[in-house]
Amino acid sequence: MIDFLAAAIRIATPLIFAALGGILSERAGVFAVGLEGMMLLGAWAAVIGTWGTGSEMAGIAAAAAGGAIAALAIAIVTVRYRADNMVTGLTVNILALGLTTYLMRILSGSNGPVSVHLDPLPMMPVPGLSQIPVVGTLLFSHPPLTYLAVIGCVLLAFVLTRTQAGLLLCATGENPEAVFAAGADPMRIRMLAVIACGGVAGLGGAVISLQQVGTFTDGMTGGRGYLALASLIVGRWNPWGAAAACLVFGAAEAFELRLQSYGIPVSSYIVQMAPYLIALGVLALLGRTGKLPAAIGKPL
Amino acid sequence: MNEMQPNTIGTPVRFPFRLRTDGILARILWAIGLSIVCAAGLIALADKNPLVAFSAMLAGAFGSAHQIGVALNKASPYLFAGSGLAICFRAGVINMGSDGQIAFGGIGAMATIMAWPGEPGLAAVIVALLAAAFCGGLWAGLATAIHLGRGVNEVLVTLLLNFVALLFVQLVLSGVLGQTGAGFLQSPLVPRTAWLWRVPLFDFHIGIAVAALGAGLLSFILWKTPFGFAVRVAGRSRLATAYAGFSLAGITWGVMLSAGALAGLAGGTEVLGLHHRLIEGFSSGFGFKAVTVALFGALEPAAVIPAAIFIGLLETGALSMQRQIGVPSALVVVIEAMTMLFILIATVRRS
Repeated sequence: MIDFLAAAIRIATPLIFAALGGILSERAGVFAVGLEGMMLLGAWAAVIGTWGTGSEMAGIAAAAAGGAIAALAIAIVTVRYRADNMVTGLTVNILALGLTTYLMRILSGSNGPVSVHLDPLPMMPVPGLSQIPVVGTLLFSHPPLTYLAVIGCVLLAFVLTRTQAGLLLCATGENPEAVFAAGADPMRIRMLAVIACGGVAGLGGAVISLQQVGTFTDGMTGGRGYLALASLIVGRWNPWGAAAACLVFGAAEAFELRLQSYGIPVSSYIVQMAPYLIALGVLALLGRTGKLPAAIGKPL
Repeated sequence: MNEMQPNTIGTPVRFPFRLRTDGILARILWAIGLSIVCAAGLIALADKNPLVAFSAMLAGAFGSAHQIGVALNKASPYLFAGSGLAICFRAGVINMGSDGQIAFGGIGAMATIMAWPGEPGLAAVIVALLAAAFCGGLWAGLATAIHLGRGVNEVLVTLLLNFVALLFVQLVLSGVLGQTGAGFLQSPLVPRTAWLWRVPLFDFHIGIAVAALGAGLLSFILWKTPFGFAVRVAGRSRLATAYAGFSLAGITWGVMLSAGALAGLAGGTEVLGLHHRLIEGFSSGFGFKAVTVALFGALEPAAVIPAAIFIGLLETGALSMQRQIGVPSALVVVIEAMTMLFILIATVRRS
C-alpha cells in the first residue's frame, strides 16, 4: 500500500509540474491548452541536452528552455496577436509533436527514430528522513525531480498570494484594465506568465523522459498535458488543489500498472480510461461553481 | 481596453472565435508560403536540398492517377470532419472532439456490418453509414450534454472524451468486434460486397464525393437558412443572440450534432472504403487535421473542400518524399501547424 502511494506520487510528478505551470498561465488570463506541447518539447530537449552534454543538470535546464520556447510561440500568437487561446494551444501541441518527431529522425540520419538511451535519474532518498517508517518510504525516497515538484507547489502558493508579482499576475487574469490603470503592463505580464508556464511544464516533460523512461519516443507525453489542465481546473487554480487532483490521476495510473498482479478481472482498457473519466466526472460535478479568472481567454 | 463582452445567458465565459474576412485568400496563401519557407529550413537542417525535396513532394502528389486517388482518400475524412468544424467554429463552439467522434463512427459502421444477417450489400452499406453518423453524433451529443448541462468548457470535454473514445475502440476490438487470433487489435475484414465503390483508374472511394456533398449542404444551411443565420449571429455576439431570441443551447446542439454526425461518417467511410476493417487508433490525429482544414477553408464549408484536398496532396507528397530522399514525413505536420499559427496571426480581428 505504501509502495502503491509512493508510486502514485512519482507518476503524478510530471502532471504536478504541468499543472503548476498551467496555473501561472491561466491565473494571468491565458488558457493553458498548450501544456501538452510544452511538456513534449521539454521532454525532447531534456533527452537531447543530457545526451549532448552528458550532464543531467544541463538536460533539465534544456527542458525548461524547450518548454519555454513552445510557450513563447503561444504567448506571441495569443497575447501579442490576440488569437484564440484554445486553437493556438492545440496547434502548438501538434507543432511540438511534429517538430520533435522530425528532429529525432533527422538526428539519426535515417527514417528510423534515433535511439538515445540514458539511465533514468536514480532514487535520491533524503538522508535520515528516509529511514522513518512509512513516511520515509512515502515521502522521502523519490527521484530528485519529485522533490522539486513539491518545492514548486510551496513556492507557487507563496508567490501567488504573498508577493506583489503574484498578485499582479492574478490581477491580470481578473481585470487587466485595473492592472493597466495601476501602471503595470498587462500584456508583458501575460507573456512572461505564459513563458514561465512553459518553463515549468518543460520540467514536467523532463520528468517523463529523464526520470521515468530514460529515452524519448514520439508523442511520449500521451495526453498528460490535458490531464494536467483538467487537474488545475479541478484544483480551482490553486497549487495544492491541483497537486491533489494530479495525485488522484497518479493513483489511477499506478493502480492500472498493478492490476495484473492483483488479478482483478477488469479490462485494462477500462482502467486506462479511469483518469479521463474521473476528470470529466469531477469537472461535471463541480460544474459552474468554480470561479474562472474573470478575464481568461479575453484578448488585451 | 477593447470590446467588453458581458457574460450573458448563463453560459460559461466564451469569447467568439472570429476570423477577419478581408483578403482572406491572400492571407492564407501568405501563411502557407511562410511555413513552406520554415519547412525549407528544416529540410536543410537534415542535410537535404529543399528544392529537390519539394520537387519530390510535387511528383509524389501529382505523379500518377493512383497518387491523386491516394490523396483524395486521405482528404475524405478531413473534409467530413472539417466542414462540420467550420460550422461549429462559426457558432463559437470550439469542438476539438473529432478524433473521438470519428472513432465512434468507425465502431458504428463495423458493428452494423458484423451484425448484418447474411451477405451485406448496398442496403447494409447505407445502414452502416447511417449508424456511423448516429454514433458520431451520439459521442458529440455526450460532450454537448456535459458542456451545456454542467457548464464545463467544451474544449476540455471534447479533448478528454477523445482519449476515452480511443480506448473504447481498443476495448471493443479486444472483445465483441475483435478478430480472434489476429495477434493485434483489429476487427475481421469487411466482406468485399460491402466495400465502398471505388472510382476506376484513380482508385479512390466515393467517400470524398459524399463529403463534398455534405460540405455543400452545410454551406447552404449556413448562408440560406434561419438556423445558419442564428449560427452566424451566435459566433459574432452572444448578446445579439440573446436579444434576437435565438437559443444558444439550441444552436450549440445543432452544430455539435451535425459536426458529430459528419465526423461519424468520416469514421464509417474509413472503415468501409479504406481500411476495410476497424483498426486500433485509426482516427488518431484526424481531429487536428479537421481543425486545420476548417481554418484553411476560412470556416466556409464549401472552401473546406479545396483545403482538405490540399492537405491530402501535401501528405501524399510528403510520404513519397520520405521514400525517395529520406526527409521524414513528420515534416508535413510541422508545415500544417506552422501554417495554422501564421493564419491565426494573420486573420485575427484587431479592434
